[in-house]
Amino acid sequence: MKGFEYFIGPQHLGIPGNFGIIVNVDGDTIVKARANPGYLHRAFEKLMERRLYLSNVSVVCRICVFDPDPQEAAYCMAVEEIAKIEVPERAKWIRTMILEFARISSHLIYLGSLTSALGLYTVMQWALTDRDYILDLLEMITGGRVYHIFMQPGGVRRDLPEGFKEKAKKVLDSLKSRLSDYYNLIFDNNIFVHRTRGVGVLDPEWALSMGVTGPNLRACGYKIDVRKDDPYLAYPELDFEVPVLEDCDMYDRAMLRMKEIEQSIRILEQILDRIPDGSVWKPVPNPINWEVPKGESFVRVESARGEVAYYMVSDGEDKPYRVNVRGPSITHGILVLEKVLEGQRLADISPIVFSLDVCAPSIDR
Amino acid sequence: MYEDLKKDIQGKFPAKFEVIRERRIKVSIDKNSVLPFLSYIKSKGFIHLISISCVDWIKENEFEIVYHLWSYTDEIHIMLKTRISRKKPIFETASEIYPVAQTFEREIHEMFGVDFKGNKRQIPFILEDWDDIPPMRKDFDPLKYAKSHFETEEYTEEVWTKVRKIQKFRGEE
Repeated sequence: MKGFEYFIGPQHLGIPGNFGIIVNVDGDTIVKARANPGYLHRAFEKLMERRLYLSNVSVVCRICVFDPDPQEAAYCMAVEEIAKIEVPERAKWIRTMILEFARISSHLIYLGSLTSALGLYTVMQWALTDRDYILDLLEMITGGRVYHIFMQPGGVRRDLPEGFKEKAKKVLDSLKSRLSDYYNLIFDNNIFVHRTRGVGVLDPEWALSMGVTGPNLRACGYKIDVRKDDPYLAYPELDFEVPVLEDCDMYDRAMLRMKEIEQSIRILEQILDRIPDGSVWKPVPNPINWEVPKGESFVRVESARGEVAYYMVSDGEDKPYRVNVRGPSITHGILVLEKVLEGQRLADISPIVFSLDVCAPSIDR
Repeated sequence: MYEDLKKDIQGKFPAKFEVIRERRIKVSIDKNSVLPFLSYIKSKGFIHLISISCVDWIKENEFEIVYHLWSYTDEIHIMLKTRISRKKPIFETASEIYPVAQTFEREIHEMFGVDFKGNKRQIPFILEDWDDIPPMRKDFDPLKYAKSHFETEEYTEEVWTKVRKIQKFRGEE
């Protein structure tokens, strides 16, 4: 083969988490790329088989660092389905609210990292500031900023604190007023348009067959969203749209995230207005010594990066017999990334990895 | 809706069919009919292979391979289950039908030691220089492995004296 082999990562500014890509280049055109994961393997699936159902909540949130809440929600829903626990309505709404805040915060990180990979550092600073306001809110509810460990089988740990609604509305209003600035700064920027239009294009048919999910698939023109197709928590009662774009390139993937932030704000406003009263936790039988009945469950959640699915098997003991986690990046980060990188320029590797929103820790688990 | 699907499936394959709840179906099938079943069900619209899981049933001495399939048109999830022998864990790849299966099978091959015949890329995935039985098997003991492979430091009085010295230097009592 002409050219030479080039190692990107595992420590690289343009790679989220420790994750390697080995590329064969000809000049600066990529001929072949191979993903090289495994640097963040913490054996969480094995660990979960040796921990109590309740303690596992603090394990699962570490599966994806920037988007931990969907993992918590999916885990709790999987346990509840096996144990046949009906979660109180208010707890469902609080979970939905946390999931949407998490989606906005993950999308802000996305926009920041994608643009800073293209040399546009201002967006990262703005996005991190706005994300911090959201983290403040999450800290107010849960006590933690990044990892919350707030949901638990049966509901959530605490009710919303006093004065939360007013503060949340203020944050949402300020975020709404900033959106036009983001549009101006990112999508009207000539450099951004030139670097992203027609780069990193996914073939729609191929993307569907390769298990691409979430915003990446919706940027290929498919109106597919787990929140609508396989509704969970309070989503069936909320009014929102699923934005879809057609061009399948990096520009559209970023634009779609902006549109999703708008929709998430819309969902959050509805939740803050309409959240029902009641208890937030249905007591489970002694959580320290809780023998979940035999059974299995399969739960899907739409995270900010795509589809998160949990397959859980219980054999009637106080620890799960097997938990299988499917993160969105196991498809986006391996086969899809390898194919998309072929024929691209060396300088486009980082933006492409960011534009697919690959989360390395969720590949390895 | 589910009845039609049940009739379709049971007319073609000797399968156990069970509706778990709304949008969730469980199908258990013999290992020899898995690949024909997958090609058939893909033609019926189940084009999204969400994931493949493997469960180690050590008491029965069997591995259970579970395929999670989703239909975007009917909005139904099929959990396809089959069991293979644990002593000779050889199975056939589904990557010809669902290309995305390649990665999932690669992981199961590494974590459980199931050999998927025909998978073109059963190369090391996550583990590096692994020299023990596949780690997700139930008879693998992580504690024993850690003790034999990694150095541990006993927290003796000597270590604590060092720690206290550092604390004193920093002004932390």
